[in-house]
Amino acid sequence: MELTEAFTEKRKEILSLWVERTLNSYTSPGFFKKAKDPFANPVGVNTSDALHSIYDLLLSNAEPEAYQKPLDTIVRIRAVQEITPSQAVAPLLELKWVVKQVLKSDRKTSSLLADLDNFDCEVDRIALIAFDIYTACREQVYRGRIRELKSGSYLLTDSACPSALLKEEQKSQSESN
Amino acid sequence: MAVVKVDKLARSVAEGPSLMTGAFPKQDWMDVPAVFKPGNYAYPTKPEKLKYLDSQQGVSFPNAREWNPEDDDWKLPENWKEIIIKGIADRLDRFRSLKIFMDCCVRCGACADKCHFFLGTGDPKNMPVLRAELLRSIYRQHFTKAGKILGKLAGGREMTYGVIKEWFMYAYQCTECRRCSVFCPYGIDTAEITMMLRELLHLLGIGINWAMEPVSNSNRTGNHMGLTPQAFKGNVDFLCEDIENLTGVKVNPTFNRKGAEVLFITPSADVFAEPGIFTCMGYLLLFEAIGLDYTWSTYASEGGNFGLFTSNEMMKKLNAKMYAEAERLGVKWILGGECGHMWRVVHQYMDTMNGPADFLEVPRSPITGTVFENAASTKMVHISEFTADLIKNGKLKLDKSRNAHVKATFHDSCNPARAMGLLDEPRYILDNVVEQWWEMPENTIREKTFCCGSGTALNTDEIMELRMRSGLPRANAVKYVQEKHDVNTLGCVCAIDRATLTTLMDYWVPSVQVAGLSELVGNALVIEGENRQELDEGLRTLV
Repeated sequence: MELTEAFTEKRKEILSLWVERTLNSYTSPGFFKKAKDPFANPVGVNTSDALHSIYDLLLSNAEPEAYQKPLDTIVRIRAVQEITPSQAVAPLLELKWVVKQVLKSDRKTSSLLADLDNFDCEVDRIALIAFDIYTACREQVYRGRIRELKSGSYLLTDSACPSALLKEEQKSQSESN
Repeated sequence: MAVVKVDKLARSVAEGPSLMTGAFPKQDWMDVPAVFKPGNYAYPTKPEKLKYLDSQQGVSFPNAREWNPEDDDWKLPENWKEIIIKGIADRLDRFRSLKIFMDCCVRCGACADKCHFFLGTGDPKNMPVLRAELLRSIYRQHFTKAGKILGKLAGGREMTYGVIKEWFMYAYQCTECRRCSVFCPYGIDTAEITMMLRELLHLLGIGINWAMEPVSNSNRTGNHMGLTPQAFKGNVDFLCEDIENLTGVKVNPTFNRKGAEVLFITPSADVFAEPGIFTCMGYLLLFEAIGLDYTWSTYASEGGNFGLFTSNEMMKKLNAKMYAEAERLGVKWILGGECGHMWRVVHQYMDTMNGPADFLEVPRSPITGTVFENAASTKMVHISEFTADLIKNGKLKLDKSRNAHVKATFHDSCNPARAMGLLDEPRYILDNVVEQWWEMPENTIREKTFCCGSGTALNTDEIMELRMRSGLPRANAVKYVQEKHDVNTLGCVCAIDRATLTTLMDYWVPSVQVAGLSELVGNALVIEGENRQELDEGLRTLV
């Protein structure tokens, strides 16, 4: 059996394990895995849909730009959750393990394990795109914080207000004189 | 360079459950401690704010001190345990609802997956049932026979230092939006459990600055920002100048005017912060268009009542100032702007706290003659009710094409929707002021609306990631209508929404801006004698 054929044949099995392991990164993943309504379960459904898209793009040898949207969907969610940066992008790399696990469990496909070099490279490549997206998301969060501070809300916490800082500075200067 | 432990790395990839994706050990919830780190908690109250509040009549905020949630030692008073148990006993005695909520939950789980904090974090303690269990377990241990005898077997647990920390973590990962209570077959109001948790924590001097500084400012000068009467009036005057530049209409609002028919109160954010100021320009234009006899107050200059997020007594005190000012000015009734929780306080608590406001008259629109029977006791009418009535009676000339740049959807702000049932008036207004608007999916609107994720004083920047993940369910539904219908404007009727949904949209659905409904009304209003410029973006147009 050719590798491409195996990927198509094992699609359901691979994706099921991949989604399962990705959603297992949450403390209480039962609902995320079960509920199918995207509006009742945005984390679970968006994650699952994005992983399906990424897998299909891999199968069709898509150009890097095509991965942007599904990768953004999954990474944007993980970028604001209480997990480390590496854990935020780890599900993508974990596809390698998932694929090997599924292929080796079937006698027909186990011999293909030695042919996975190119596939592994592709996965690494999308993981790197995910890393870029992760960084962009984090920067966006910080820009949001700065925008809120500048928008006038800082008056509430005078610590960040420039004139309050100036006053403090003047006060400490006059005290030291 | 460190040697890469290949075997370790390989193992972490190869073995399940996955170490790589950070799978969490599954433990009983009682055994998982709350861990505080930068980004997952809001800053504690500044001691000087708490000391000031504690010195005020009618409220008590003891144990002001510097403390850091990341430290092991929170510098609690020595008898903290006694204070808490006594505090619970006192509240069980005073609030029958709390006693019922503690006893009647059958843990059916209907609420479990309805909370935006749970949906965004996957943390089981954000399931409303479990968040309530944080208090209920202590209640069982100390106040029920079964719990006293059987302890953990009866779902009880000891009141420990760790429990206090857990309460602080999760009482501030709830926006009291009450979506969960819509689904509870017993009607348990989990928001009230969060309110009790916050009250109990205040007994130990534990609270967040983003709630307490606005409370302190409101108590002192009448608004969250601590704006003086001069500054408040100055800001409104500034908006009047903008209106004149844009539309050629001269508006002349009055302040603290005795004998006006109506007192207008709105969140102070409408007066000074984008995009609320555009909503405020909408109010000013509307009142000018109909010739309303109204006044602003520079003392009751805040619709918001962060007392609701703090303590019963504080909420009562801040609410009272609105009515005291209405009485002082001798107005007939109060018109309220686009605020969220102000309406929960007015509709659900005001009457028993400070009401009935017998010195006021049952609100009657001087323009249409409509009597607002629904406000017969509180004497306070929502701007959307008032505007919808004006439209219905043909008193406004509206040109939808002036909102041609707007493709809207509507976010039901939690409190107006769930606490006062304001569901159809905003939609009626939208029908009349914009050419096109679309509803978000059914399970994310009206009574089932999803919170912005930043209510109850969680709209502070140090917990931005928390706000983004808890706002995901709302943003996800907006994204759907944005992709399907090219929606570019999220309408709402709440000041916290206007401020925080703007940041939320910027992160999740960047092409969508946030607008108060009165801004869209202001855009569409045709006013006699106007000299309106080409306003491609309505009142937001830079000229």
